[in-house]
Formats: sequence, structure tokens, C-alpha cells
Amino acid sequence: MNMNARLRSLRPYMTVFRLRALMETQYRAAALGGLVTQVFFGLVYIFLYTALYAGNSPEMLRDTITYVWLQQMFFRMMFSSDGELTNLIMSGGVAYMLVRPVDQHRFWVCRDVGGRLVGAMMRLIPMLAVQFILPRELRIGLPDGWLSLAQFGLSLLIGCVCLCELMSILDAINMKTLDKRGVSAILNLTMMTFSGNVIPLTLFPDGLQTLIRYQPFAQALDAPIRMYQSCAALPEWALTVAVQLVWIVILRWIGRSMWQRRLDNMTVQGG
Amino acid sequence: MKYMTHAVKMLFKSAMQYRASLLMQVIAQFVMTGGELLAVTVLLTRFKAVGHWGAAEILFFFGVMQSTFALTELFGRGITSFPWFVQRGEFDALILRPRPLLVQVMFSQLDPRRLGSFLVGMIAVLTAAAQLELQWTLLKGLLLAEVVLGSMLLLTGLFMIEATVSFFSVKSIEMVNVLTYGGRTACQYPVDVYPGVLRVLFTYVAPFAMCMHWPVSAVIGQPMMALPMWAYFLTPLAGAAFFALMVRIWYIGVRHYRSTGT
Repeated sequence: MNMNARLRSLRPYMTVFRLRALMETQYRAAALGGLVTQVFFGLVYIFLYTALYAGNSPEMLRDTITYVWLQQMFFRMMFSSDGELTNLIMSGGVAYMLVRPVDQHRFWVCRDVGGRLVGAMMRLIPMLAVQFILPRELRIGLPDGWLSLAQFGLSLLIGCVCLCELMSILDAINMKTLDKRGVSAILNLTMMTFSGNVIPLTLFPDGLQTLIRYQPFAQALDAPIRMYQSCAALPEWALTVAVQLVWIVILRWIGRSMWQRRLDNMTVQGG
Repeated sequence: MKYMTHAVKMLFKSAMQYRASLLMQVIAQFVMTGGELLAVTVLLTRFKAVGHWGAAEILFFFGVMQSTFALTELFGRGITSFPWFVQRGEFDALILRPRPLLVQVMFSQLDPRRLGSFLVGMIAVLTAAAQLELQWTLLKGLLLAEVVLGSMLLLTGLFMIEATVSFFSVKSIEMVNVLTYGGRTACQYPVDVYPGVLRVLFTYVAPFAMCMHWPVSAVIGQPMMALPMWAYFLTPLAGAAFFALMVRIWYIGVRHYRSTGT
């Protein structure tokens, strides 16, 4: 296949990415409503950690505050689901989905990446604006330099893809059970704790840090945040990104084979 | 009253029809709240104390909050899902029935999967009580029961803010959840660990401190306020008062109700 044909074959995926992203920009009021919630939760956590550190090690408190804000800023990337796939299956619309001449798994992963990235970006700008009106001791810390910020950005993009591969596994489970409240809820909720949303993963016991930072849930947001906080030297940076990529490969392999099995046994309900 | 017990019985029966699904959902809730328990435990291992509170005391507060919140969501499902009720136009049917409106709404649904969260909360309370070597007396038991009831009324009242807003704006607004879910997260810890603004908010506006923290602190023998014991029996009434106020406001909302059609 020459270059041109290859590019053309990628077009449906880029289109669905763009469409989902455009759709996300339509929910500006929801984004603003989410802002209040995220700022409130961010402040509650920050006050709590201020009480926990009780004046000791102000450096670590600053890092924790930064961690909390980054978690709240990218909350939409971590936790968003429009339930479109389950709707399609329940309504029988899945029949249309199946006749599209595309790789279904890749199609939905691209769609998910588009929604999550743009949803997060839209919330990022007002969240950053809020930082300017906060008193200094509650504000997010600056990145460890330009290189650190670049490392953060790149790692975040890879992390988002990794997250969507993980979510495609949940989709495969949902396709079978058609009920989001069981197995997939368990995975989703485990993610809240082990992605660093409930408490920063950096606060887990020091002995468990290796385990905690290389598990799949940490790849989406925890890995980038650590780079934001302290610029990684080349070997460490390479290792972190390599781990992210390895998880993408593993999760994609699991997700793909689960999707394949589900699509082979798909029952179309209604017409 | 007869209506209520009958409704609760029927709802439990209908939930039991899908036993496997229900069990999965209870486990899911158990895991979720278990994750929060894990998080609190991790923090307490690292920091040992929050303000003047030790690990066991914090665990006790956490457990009371989680189990109370779970019970509220279990029995208050009718209120928490009320906005959907209005969106689908199903509220019309209730208005026509010759029974008290709010009672019908409250007992239109149950959420038995919250038993999973409730269980985690109870485990936390019992573990903490054992660590504190708490001497249970009838008085303490009664006070704790009143705390749970008062806080449930307060939380239901807070959920009713969203229920009332739904009369005026059909699209649900995420923001109004700040006091309920935000309250749960913030008030897992006693209010005196927070600075002034949050302390005032959760003492006087959404009185979690009066309903929960003050009396609980008396139960575990480290009172936050210099009050005589009988006074701690009075403060959870703030929850009932808050609830009563919200009921009034909700009924004002009902008068502005316009059906979305069916």
C-alpha cells in the first residue's frame, strides 16, 4: 500500500475523532457547571492536606496541592462516558454501526480519545483562570521548567490513548452485560482510587511506590503529573514513556480480542 | 405510614427479582467505598493524625459519614433521581393520586445496592470503636442513632435542592451537587480541621457539624464543644429543621411545576 492509500484508510478514524471533539465543544454550559464542582473539590482536598501536613515539609505540601489541581483539571479526561455504545446496542442502532467498513475497535477508541482530550481542554482554560484569583498558598505550582512541561504534555497524550484502550475493555464488558452498574462499575471505581483521583498516588507508602506508579491506572494522569512536578532525566523519562507504551500494547491486545469476540456474537435487538 | 411500609416492601421484593445483578451492584458499591476507606487508611498511615484527631477517631467519623450517606441514598432514591422523574413527565401521575405528594416521591424508588457502601461504613465504625476501646452505653447508642437520623434528614434536604431546581430547569445542573457529594467528601473529617470559610459553611449553612461531628465527638469521648451531654441530643435536630425548610421550598416549587408532557 502506498502512502496515499494508507492515509486515506485512516480518514474515518480522524473524522470520528474530529466529530466527537466538535460535539464536546457544544456542551459549554456543562463545562462551566463542572468547573464549580471541580474547584470546590480541589479546595476541600487542599484544605485537608494543609491540615494533614500541619506546617511540616512545605515543599511536599506544595507538590500535593499541584497534584490535586492537575487531577481536578483533567477530571473530565479521566471520567467521562456518553454511554453511546450501550444505547446503540439497546436500540438496535448497532446494526448500522456494524455495516461501516471500519475497524470497529479502532473507530471507537479514536472517538473516545477525541471526546476526552477536547473535553479536558475546554475545562482546562477556566480552571487555569481560577488559579489567578486564588491566594498564593492555594494555587497550583509551576512546572519544573519548559522541558518538564513538554514532557508532561507528551506523556498526557500517550496517557489519554492508554486510558481509552483501557476503556475499550470496559466497553467490551458492557456489550456483554448491557449494564454499567456491575463489573464495569467495579473497574471504573477502582480507577478512581488507583489513578490518583481520591488521593495522590505519591502519598501511598514509599515501599509500594514502584508497584503503584507502574500499574495501568497510573499511566493516564499520574505518570504525566510526576513529570510536571520534577523534570525527568533521560533514562527515567524513557522508562516512564516505555511503560506507558507497553501498557497501550497490552491493553489494546486485550481490548481487541474482547471486541472481536463480542462482535462475532452480537445480537441485534429490534430493527 | 401503611403506604410507606407497603411501598418499601414491594420495592425490596422487586429488587430481589434480579438477584445476581443486585449482588454485583452491591459488590461494586462495596469496592467503591472500600477504595475510599483504603485512601483514608493510606493518609492516616502517612500522617498519623489530622489536627488534634488521631487515626482511630478519624476512622470513626469516616464510617459514620459513609454509612449515613449510604442509608440516605438507599431510602432517598426517590429524591435523588427526582430530576429524571420530572424530565420524563412521570410526576404528573403522582399529583393525581390521593396520597401526600412528598411521601409518594420518597418511596417511589429504593437503591438497595447502597448496602455495599453501608457495610464498609459499619466496618470502619466498628474497627474504630474497637481501637478506641469505646465503652458502649445505651445513651451513646441512642445519640448515635439520632445522629444517623438527623444527618439523613440533612442530606435528604440537600438532595431536595436539586429536586426543587428541577422544577425550574429541566436540564440537571451538576453544580447543585456540590453540597451533597462535596459535603460527603469534606465532612468525612470533622469540620475543625478546615479553615474558617468551610467551617462556617458546614456548621451553619449545611449543618453537618451540628448533626454529625459535635455529637459524634461526644460519643467517642472527645467533645468538640463544651456542652452538657443533653445538649448533644438537641444539635442533630438542625438536620430536621433543615429538612422541614426544604420541604416548604419544594412545595413552593411544586406550584410552579409544568409538565414536560409524556
